[in-house]
Amino acid sequence: MSPRLNLFGASRSLVIRARPSITSHQSWILPVVSRRGFADEKGPNAPKGPNENALGHVSEEAADMSNIMGETGPDLGQGTPVQDILKRDKEGRGKAPEVIKEEMDGNKADSTSFANLLSLGQLESIAAGGHGTDPVTVDTVGHKYALPDLPLPKNANFKYRYDPIVAQVTNLLMKDGKLSVAQRNMSFILNHLRTAPPPVPNPVRPLLPGAPPPTHLPLNPIGYLTVAIDSVAPLLRIRSQRGAAGGGAALQIPVPLGLRQRRRQAVQWILDAANKRKSRGSGKNQFALRVADEIINVVEGKSSVWEKRQLVHKTGTSARANLNYKPGGFRR
Amino acid sequence: MRKRIVLSNTNALEVQGLRELDAGLGETNGEEVIGQVVGLMGSTVDSLRAVEAFKTAQGWGLFRRPGLLVREESVALSRKLIMSEEGEMLRLVIDGERGTGKSLILLHAMATAFVRGWVVLNIPEAQEVTNAMNDYAPLPGTTPTLFSQPTYTANWLSQINKANTTLLQDMELSLTHNLPIPLQSNISLSRLCELGARDPDVAWPVFQAFWAELMAKGRPPVLLALDGLNNVMRESMYRAPDTSFVHAHDLAIVNHFVGYLSGERKLGNGGAVIAATNRSHAPKSKSLDLVLTQLEERQLGEEEITEKDPFEKGYDGRVEWALGVKDVLKLKGLSKKEARGLMEYWAKSGVLRKRVDEEEVAEKWALAGNGVVGEIERGALRMRI
Repeated sequence: MSPRLNLFGASRSLVIRARPSITSHQSWILPVVSRRGFADEKGPNAPKGPNENALGHVSEEAADMSNIMGETGPDLGQGTPVQDILKRDKEGRGKAPEVIKEEMDGNKADSTSFANLLSLGQLESIAAGGHGTDPVTVDTVGHKYALPDLPLPKNANFKYRYDPIVAQVTNLLMKDGKLSVAQRNMSFILNHLRTAPPPVPNPVRPLLPGAPPPTHLPLNPIGYLTVAIDSVAPLLRIRSQRGAAGGGAALQIPVPLGLRQRRRQAVQWILDAANKRKSRGSGKNQFALRVADEIINVVEGKSSVWEKRQLVHKTGTSARANLNYKPGGFRR
Repeated sequence: MRKRIVLSNTNALEVQGLRELDAGLGETNGEEVIGQVVGLMGSTVDSLRAVEAFKTAQGWGLFRRPGLLVREESVALSRKLIMSEEGEMLRLVIDGERGTGKSLILLHAMATAFVRGWVVLNIPEAQEVTNAMNDYAPLPGTTPTLFSQPTYTANWLSQINKANTTLLQDMELSLTHNLPIPLQSNISLSRLCELGARDPDVAWPVFQAFWAELMAKGRPPVLLALDGLNNVMRESMYRAPDTSFVHAHDLAIVNHFVGYLSGERKLGNGGAVIAATNRSHAPKSKSLDLVLTQLEERQLGEEEITEKDPFEKGYDGRVEWALGVKDVLKLKGLSKKEARGLMEYWAKSGVLRKRVDEEEVAEKWALAGNGVVGEIERGALRMRI
């Protein structure tokens, strides 16, 4: 289907018209279609442009004619395709552009080729006041840059601008409330993951299902961190109910954990393991370096964190009989 | 570990179609390269590493190979350097806010000098010369008394030799020298540097002999560079025998540098003297700030030139004398085109995982104080905003 050439609209846009009193907020209405507010009078008092008194164009003329003759003429609200006009106008058919002649003859030019669409798009964006390469959407009209897509993404708020896992780990790295030091450490960790050689995972310690291949991890340090943490995050914790097992012994009850809780536990285990490591040099980034090395160890399956996770899961499995314990006794 | 320089990240992607920084930049091409990142050739990288032009905090370790953004200012500087090969020597101070790329413009100058076959002498951290961490000794027969730093000079000579070895090996002694060590008459300048580097006690006389050779007729142009000018424009931390502080200009190495920066002495075969200031964690020097402000105002053609504060006692006449330069290169933020070129290079290296379009560039550019390049890097690569 070829795009409808709207000569009608083009001629209307040349006419100087009074500005509508209501500016529309509906940006998807094409600006070439003239607008009139509901409250606008189109009476004799409305100011007229210098060439508004001219005779109507072909479509208006055809509409008037058909009105007189009692036929159904062209719909003025729609804009008449130039082909319809040419059907009526035999003289103009000879002078029509080649493209339209071909189309009327039945052999259409291929207007949907990629190059054609691309250049059309570029022309459109140039017409909208932008460059050919950076497309300008209708939203850009009147704004320097396009309006943001709604709903706003979660990280559009400057307080939540970092990835959730980065924000959480940063807070867990923080000591003595020194957030900026923790952020510096976090950025060191991510850059260390970016520059360290790709990890070699241990098949005995499988990573999260669906994790990207290890060669892809270094260039996506946040993904690397996420894979490491989510792979060792425990599914549950063990709550000890004092005296419930009889004879003063504590009853171990498995409790499922939420996503943030699971990650928090994993990060704490990683930090514990990192604190036990020895520094490899001197300087201010030693703590961050140890944490980064521990994260790599987790992905390579060498870290002691895996044992901790296994222990919790084992205890949880053996204590699953206690799941239906409620304060006051077992529920049948 | 703290001073370790990593120049390659094997995880980063190799950028296809990267231009090399060659001798033609500023001569045959210029404008069309502005806003592009050029790679440094292997030999240049080795030389730059030898003169300690790469700094630890500069993020070289994130990319596959060292590359340098060509800015408008760097092309202009290249042109000036090329002109100084023939005509008058270039004396220049590079100034600018923190993170505007002063050290990297200096590195660009050094890289250009290396690819054009100059001899480069670099003082990578002026702070190390003046903060009294090296041994020092008065030089006999100098008024006012100058102080040499034997170990530092010996180390410097070995750096100079390592960086310029291909050039120096082909140059033979042409003058006769009166040195405390026996010297063969047909040794190369590289060998001369080695002799000085081996024995700190003779390092300073050997350096003077080496310099006299470089200034002799028919030698290549010389680039004298110094980073951290603020540290040498004040009293040093060294003490004279009467326990007063030794002025930095009374240290032999600094005295040598300042003699050329002030224009008192001329480089025999053309070349340049370039110093970059330091704007983070650097000592204040009233005179330095005053002179740089005045120079900048003169360059801009302003009618009112800032005058000395009559109630200020902290001015230093020696500093004002030493800064008798005509040029100051005041660095500002990148233009948006340059910022876009840089960010596209980051994206092509796989380090910046974002779509680089006009909006993204404008955002980072604006958040970085109108394109302060260090801040753009911090926002985009270091994840600290």
